[in-house]
Amino acid sequence: MFLHDVNPTVKALTIIGAVFLLAFVFDPVTPLLYIVWTVFVTFVFGTFKKRYYVYYFIPFTLFAFGMFWTTVVFSDTSTVTADSVSFLGMEFPTEDIWTAAALGLRVLAFATLSLLFLFTTNMVHFILSLIQQLKLPPKIAYGVLAGYRFLPMLKTEFQQIRAAHRIRGVNRPDSWKEKLLQYQRFAIPLLAGAIRKAERTAIAMESKGFTGAKTRTFYRPMKVQRKDWLFPVMMFGMLGITIAFSVYFGYFSWYDGQL
Amino acid sequence: MSQEVIRVEDLTLRYEERQKPVLSRLTFSIEEGENMLILGPSGSGKSSLTHCLNGLYPRELDGAMNGEVLVQGQRTDSYPAGEMAQNVGVVFQDPETQFCMITVEDEVAFGLENLNTPHASMVEKVDQALRQVGMEAYKTADISSLSGGQKQKVALACILAMEPEVLILDEPTANLDPVARKEFIQLLKRLKEELSFTLLVIEHKLEGWLDLLERVLIINEKGELAYDGPLHDHLKTYARDIHEMGIQLPYATRTALEQGWTPPYPLHIGDIPPVALPENRPVLSAGKALLEAEAVHWKSILRNINVTFHEGEWMAIVGENGSGKSSFSRILAGIQPPSKGSVAMHGRALKKWKESEMRKEVGYVFQNPEHQFITDTVYDEVAFSLQHAGMKEAEWTRIVEETLKFCRLDGLEDQHPFLLSQGQKRRLSVATMIVENQNMLFLDEPTFGQDEKSTSDLMSLLKEKHENGTTIVMITHDMELVDKYATRVLVMNEGELSFDGQPKELWARPDLGDHHLELPPREQWKRAVLKREEPAYVSS
Repeated sequence: MFLHDVNPTVKALTIIGAVFLLAFVFDPVTPLLYIVWTVFVTFVFGTFKKRYYVYYFIPFTLFAFGMFWTTVVFSDTSTVTADSVSFLGMEFPTEDIWTAAALGLRVLAFATLSLLFLFTTNMVHFILSLIQQLKLPPKIAYGVLAGYRFLPMLKTEFQQIRAAHRIRGVNRPDSWKEKLLQYQRFAIPLLAGAIRKAERTAIAMESKGFTGAKTRTFYRPMKVQRKDWLFPVMMFGMLGITIAFSVYFGYFSWYDGQL
Repeated sequence: MSQEVIRVEDLTLRYEERQKPVLSRLTFSIEEGENMLILGPSGSGKSSLTHCLNGLYPRELDGAMNGEVLVQGQRTDSYPAGEMAQNVGVVFQDPETQFCMITVEDEVAFGLENLNTPHASMVEKVDQALRQVGMEAYKTADISSLSGGQKQKVALACILAMEPEVLILDEPTANLDPVARKEFIQLLKRLKEELSFTLLVIEHKLEGWLDLLERVLIINEKGELAYDGPLHDHLKTYARDIHEMGIQLPYATRTALEQGWTPPYPLHIGDIPPVALPENRPVLSAGKALLEAEAVHWKSILRNINVTFHEGEWMAIVGENGSGKSSFSRILAGIQPPSKGSVAMHGRALKKWKESEMRKEVGYVFQNPEHQFITDTVYDEVAFSLQHAGMKEAEWTRIVEETLKFCRLDGLEDQHPFLLSQGQKRRLSVATMIVENQNMLFLDEPTFGQDEKSTSDLMSLLKEKHENGTTIVMITHDMELVDKYATRVLVMNEGELSFDGQPKELWARPDLGDHHLELPPREQWKRAVLKREEPAYVSS
């Protein structure tokens, strides 16, 4: 699908740009509209398991609601105006609700943008693109790739160590102190294994002629093509339209030291 | 006349932290197209030699390297960094750690990218290399989804793609099961016929390699050159010396040594003279039922397994990788509860046992011994469970000392478990599991990746334990072990139990190959003898 084909660097920079601009907006309507737009784009132009998107989205929703709630409850009451709304059986000043919603929705807007990137980007392609477009040194980039490969291996190893320790009669920890001791015990075999693995991988990479030099050819050339620019145009264009909409209906406000 | 590709002259290698040199005054040369085996006891610096030959040393060396290593007539340190990969390629032992990319094609391309191969020819070379090793169907697959044998084939493809003149294989099959191992050697034989390259193999197990390798270089424990010459002739006469270095000889040669025959020793099963070999017929001692599994299911991995283990049995669980052997044994040992069905020990369901009581009955030795270590010294490691059982000090010190002695770890009490040798680590993990005199001992591939010496040490230790009444359950791929020790064998296939009976009944089955199993060498020999005798029998 379209989103998966966009050059990963262009996509990443667009997302960062949109997040940056949204950070200056301080009304709930603009981010809300933009969230709807981002989710729409993600679902229409991306292919992935929709269920996982929901799983990933839930913690962000909770965090956003937490942000909203704490802002409402702990707000500075001295600036209260006459207006108030009733919410969950309690009276709150409208202005506070407004600020809190702006904060909460902003978190969600950042989250949906990040998820758009996460769900439509192949991590390997992203790193390859960083090397080729942003001149990330291969030494770092291929190190990250090798590490990325290690993560699932570390996970299985951790599970094995846990089972192996259980059979040694290391009981489930009761206190914080014991828990700490247990993690220390896990850490030693895990680290010893990781260091050995890393060293072997490094030797294997060097034996294949890897020097970390910047001149190298690529099996997967990552190019920025004309069609890649459609994504930033679309995302920034919509951000402009959303802001224009909010301004027209009088909802819009910049961040101006509201908190 | 063929040309010299590698010349090593008076090579001495020292690591900073060690007094003695790892390699000492080595001189030899290798000609184009040769097939050479490098032998030596563990720690004799064979892998260090690899690093010297492919130019990694002296660049990455903490220490000193004296003498000369010439590849294609040029000193290795005069090649620009990275260029040596075009001359000398190495396949390493561990299939897990020689990759840095996610998919097969990216990994094969990685080396070519390093060599600045233009894109168009790179695509071609990746395809070609994968075709050569027969892995073209896995081009876009994730490396992590492959089996060990397939990973080693990919590792080989990565090197072949770069078309080096010299191919070094550093114990390429040490972590593979016997069937995958055989396949890998077959593949090399075929490649040797199709392509021209010089082959250097470092190995601990000789079985299968003899048809391919002609010359041998033996390095002794001091890192000196002990022998350089034809492999077969040397082996026929000096097999005992090679055996004592911890090298696993081919079955035929090993048998000859065990039987005390005189040289020349046979090298292949077909060469064994037709005399009666001792039958390994383990005594059948079906004691009381000890552990009963009833209709055990686990996730989608295990389906409806019913089996009863008796006291005094030596069980082997065999089957292809991913057939559920480890999962099943973990359920039996009470580490993992089944999702359906039940397991009972001494007639009492496992879930009703208290964890601490159960551990006194059942021990489990994991595949990687390091995972089980929890203290800082060998002594504490063995003493750990006794100290926590609330035993008197005088008593547990006695038991600990006995156990250490039994596992031949006496004298190493103050060592850190992680600093032991592979064989010692394995024996320590066994020691921790028998110290409470457990009735039943599970072992997950106990001989995997071990050299001949530590394998035989471990097996004799287990045998003694078994004779004293311990029930042993081992997961293994090694049919020779099954043939030699097991009284009963279970074959797992796709999460189901497809065979349960005596080993000799299993060998008689025609469908062994379908389960990724092979006949043990003793059976192969028996059949070879029968075949030889058959025509004679008919004519008489």
